[in-house]
Amino acid sequence: MTDHPARKQDQAKLLVALQDLDHMIRDAEDAKTAAKMQEMGFTMDGIAEIKKARVELTEHIKPQLLNRYQRVSQNYERIVVPVVKDLCTGCFAKVATSFRYEKTAVVTCESCGRILYFT
Amino acid sequence: MMTSQELASYFRESLCIFDLKATTKREALAEMVEAVCAEYEIKDRGLILEMLLNRESLGSTAIGKGVAFPHGRTLAVRDLSIAFARSARGVDFDSTDKKPTHAVFLIIAPPQDRDNLYLQVLGRIVDLIKDDASRERVQAASNYAELKSIIEGQGL
Repeated sequence: MTDHPARKQDQAKLLVALQDLDHMIRDAEDAKTAAKMQEMGFTMDGIAEIKKARVELTEHIKPQLLNRYQRVSQNYERIVVPVVKDLCTGCFAKVATSFRYEKTAVVTCESCGRILYFT
Repeated sequence: MMTSQELASYFRESLCIFDLKATTKREALAEMVEAVCAEYEIKDRGLILEMLLNRESLGSTAIGKGVAFPHGRTLAVRDLSIAFARSARGVDFDSTDKKPTHAVFLIIAPPQDRDNLYLQVLGRIVDLIKDDASRERVQAASNYAELKSIIEGQGL
């Protein structure tokens, strides 16, 4: 298993990394994006590697969080969203200031249910 | 269509490195990500580096003629960010033509990037570099003013 920079940190970062990977996979599998990339000269034929990296990453995410991520993904394209000026940037609902001080817990928006990422 | 001036406006002096120390792809990416994180006060540099390395696993972004375009989207950045690096001795960037890379354009965008702006920016830079004269000038640029004038003056 490869070393993961966020592994020893918090689970929220692992969820961000998971979403980044999912976006990458989606782009690589999207015919329009892939064609545009190819036109520019980029190859995207290592999709199997990326999917393998995804599997490895999920092994480090707590099952209940992974379930939450998958549940939210059924409703929204952006599952993990940044909090900007105390607002969830998914639905723009106000986020309780106290959540910012939750150092270890993964916090979800009380309004839309998306997972919140404090930058 | 994005103008040359608009494209040039994404380049910041503090994010242009003209004496890259790195000799490997990982080191080069780390050095450039470090600059981006310092400029924008980003705390999760590991997430950016991991995303970029994953993108490289998908296919090398060094598409030959001494230039690489590492790119991708991550929630770790708030806005579209571009960094440039030049290496006189060259970096082993796993280039498609197996030659050392002398110029690196790093493009990172957030997932909420509207209209895939980063793809437009990437396309514009690739177009610039496809022109032999522009590419040679970029690879020889030794300061920010020079680089910016090449980008602004491309007339695309």
